[in-house]
Amino acid sequence: MEALLLEYLPILIFIGLAAVLGGALIVIPLIVAPSKPDPEKLSAYECGFPAFGDARMKFDVRFYLVAILFIIFDLEVAFLFPWAITLTGLEGGNAVFAFWSMMAFLGVLTVGFIYEWKKGALEWE
Amino acid sequence: MIGIEHYVVVSSILFVLGVLGIFLNRKNVIVILMAIELILLAVNINLVAFSAFLGDLTGQIFAMFVLTVAAGEAAIGLAILVIYFRGRGSITVDDVNRMRG
Amino acid sequence: MDFTASLALIAPEILLSVSGLVLLLAGAWMGDGASRLVSYAAVAVLAVCAFMVAPALCSGAMGPDTVAFGGQFRADAFASFAKLLIYAAGGAALLVAPAFFERHGAMRAEYPVLVLFAVLGMGLMVSAGDLLTLYIGLELNSLSAYVLAAFLRTDERSAEAGLKYFVLGALASGILLFGMSLTYGFTGTTTFEGIRTALSGGLSTGALFGVIFMLAGLAFKIAAVPFHMWTPDVYEGAPTPVTTFFATAPKVAAVGLTMRVAMDAFGKQESAWQQVIIFAALASIVVGALGAIGQVNIKRLLAYSSINNVGFILIGLAAATQAGASAMLVYLSIYVAMSVGGFVAVLMLKDADGEAVEAIADIAGLSRTQPLLALCLAAVMFSLAGIPPLFGFWGKFVVFQAAVQADMIALAAIGIAASVIGAFYYLKIVKIMYFDEPVNKVHGKSDWIHWALLAVSAIFISPLGYLLTRWLGSLADKAAAALLFAA
Repeated sequence: MEALLLEYLPILIFIGLAAVLGGALIVIPLIVAPSKPDPEKLSAYECGFPAFGDARMKFDVRFYLVAILFIIFDLEVAFLFPWAITLTGLEGGNAVFAFWSMMAFLGVLTVGFIYEWKKGALEWE
Repeated sequence: MIGIEHYVVVSSILFVLGVLGIFLNRKNVIVILMAIELILLAVNINLVAFSAFLGDLTGQIFAMFVLTVAAGEAAIGLAILVIYFRGRGSITVDDVNRMRG
Repeated sequence: MDFTASLALIAPEILLSVSGLVLLLAGAWMGDGASRLVSYAAVAVLAVCAFMVAPALCSGAMGPDTVAFGGQFRADAFASFAKLLIYAAGGAALLVAPAFFERHGAMRAEYPVLVLFAVLGMGLMVSAGDLLTLYIGLELNSLSAYVLAAFLRTDERSAEAGLKYFVLGALASGILLFGMSLTYGFTGTTTFEGIRTALSGGLSTGALFGVIFMLAGLAFKIAAVPFHMWTPDVYEGAPTPVTTFFATAPKVAAVGLTMRVAMDAFGKQESAWQQVIIFAALASIVVGALGAIGQVNIKRLLAYSSINNVGFILIGLAAATQAGASAMLVYLSIYVAMSVGGFVAVLMLKDADGEAVEAIADIAGLSRTQPLLALCLAAVMFSLAGIPPLFGFWGKFVVFQAAVQADMIALAAIGIAASVIGAFYYLKIVKIMYFDEPVNKVHGKSDWIHWALLAVSAIFISPLGYLLTRWLGSLADKAAAALLFAA
C-alpha cells in the first residue's frame, strides 16, 4: 500500500510544482505590474484602424459538417487495432472469418464514403 | 487501495451529472449533447473497470462499441440540430415548444 | 464454431444490409427521381426477407440449432414472429410514403434506405441473445429513427420532433446502457444465457439496479408510463408515414426485446421486475386514457392511444407465463393492424389543396362527405376501444385471460375498468364523424395504395379477423414456446 502510493509521489510533486508556478505567474503580475487602463488600451487591437465587430465570431456551420463526417470515420478505425493484434494469433477457419469480417466492415464504411462524396458533402462550396 | 467500488462510484456520479445536465439545463441544446456523452462515458468507465476487475475482455470490447456508436449518435444529433437551427434560428432549450399538450 | 451455419441463420439480416447499401448507392446515382423505384425495391426486399424467416416460425424452431455466433444471435420462432410483424409494418410505412412526401416535394431515396436499416436494427433487437447484439440493434434502429423523424427538413415541427426524439432517445439508450454495464459487472457475462445462470443463486443489489435501469431504458423505447412524455410530440411532429412506422415496428421490436430480457435473461427473478411491469402497465393504461381526452389533434390522440395499448400489452408480460407471452404476440399483431389502419386513414384526411387535416374538429360529419373513409376510421376506433365484435376485443381478451390464469385478477379487473375510460375518447371521434354537422373540410382523392392498405387492415380488424384466431393463436404459442425454451 505504502510502496504503491510512493510510486505516485513524483506525480504529486509535479502537480504541486505546476500549481505553484502557474499560480505565481498569475499573481506576481497583478502585484508588480503597473495597471492604468483606459478605453483605448482595452479595445481590441486591429492593425492600423479602429476595430470593427466582435473578436468572437460564430463558426460557419460547414465546419460542423466536416467535423461530423470526420469523427465517424475516425472512430471506426478504433476497431482496426484490436483486430490487427488478434488476427495473427488465429488459425485456419477462424482467421479467414476474422479477416473477411473486417473486410465486410471496411466495405460498409467505403459505401458510406462513396455516398457522401457522391452527394457532394465533401465540397466546401 | 483503489477498488472496483471506487470506479463504480465515479461512474455513478458522472451518470447522475449527465442525467441532471439534460433535465436542469435550460439554455443550450449543445449542452444536452455533452450531457449525453457524459452518460455514455460513465458507462464506459463502468465497463472497463468491471472488465479489468473480472479479468474478462468482453467489457472492453463493449466499451469500444459504445464509443463508436456514441460518435455516430453525436454526429446525427449535430445534424438534426443544424436542421433545427436553420428553421428556427435558435437552439435555446426553452424555445423547443412548437408542440404542447 | 461453424460459421457457415451461423451465416445461414442471419441470411435475412445479410440480405437487408446488402440491399440497403446497394439501394443507398442506387439512390445517390439516380437522384431523387428514382425514389419511388427504390421504395418498391425495398418493399420487395422486405417481402423476400419475410419468406426467409417464415419457415422458422411455422416449424416452431427453437433450441441450439437456432443459435448463431456462440449465443449472440437467435433465429428462433419468437424472433420470426416479431420479424414478420416488423417487416409488414416497415412495408406499410414504405408504401404510404411516396404519395405523402411527393406532395411536399421532399421524397428522397434515403427514406426507404433508412427504413430498411431501421428494420434491420429491429430484427437484431428481437433476435438478440447477448447485451451487445441488443445494443447494436437498438442503436441501429434508433439512429435511423431520429433521422426519419426529422425527414421533412423544411417543416419546423418535423425538425423539433427529430430533436426531441433524439435527446430523449439518447437518454434512454444511456440509461439502458448503464443498466447493462451493471448487469455485466455483477454477473460477469453479457450473454442472456450466462446472466440467467449467474443469477440462478439469487439477485445481488447491483444486478437488481441493472435490471431496473434496463427496464427503465426499454420503457422509454416502448413509450410506457412514466417514460412516455416524448410520444405525443414526436408522433405529432414527425411526417405521418414516419409516425405510422414509429407506432408499429419499433414498438413490436422493443416489446419483443423487453420480453427476451425479462423472461430469458432475468427469467428466474420474476419477483424483481414483475412489480415494475405491473406499475408501468396500469400507469400506461390510465395515463394513455386520460391524456387522450383533451386532445384536439388526431395524431396526438393516436399517440396517447398507443401509450394506452402498450399498457395492455405489458399486462401479458406481468403474468410472466407462456400464455402471457403468447397473448402479447397476438395483441401486438392486432395492434399493428389497428395502428396502420388508423394512421393511413389520418394520412388520407386532406383538404382541397392536398394539405393534411389533423384537427379533430375538422373531420366532423365525415360520414356524409367520405362515407367509406369514415367507416374504416370508425372500425379502427371501435377496435382500439376493444368493443366486440371487432378484432381489437380479441387482443384485450387474450391478455386479460392470461393475467387471470396467472392469478392476477386484481390487475385484470383494474385493466378492464380503465379500458372503459379509454373507450370514451374513441367513441367521441366516432360521434364527431357521424353525428356532428359536416364542416366539409376533407376533400381530395387518395392514392390507391392508401386505400388498399386501409382496406387490408380494416378487414383484418373487422369481425372477419376472428376466422384467424386459431391460426394466429397457434403461431403465437409456437413463438412463446421458443422464447421460454431458450430460457
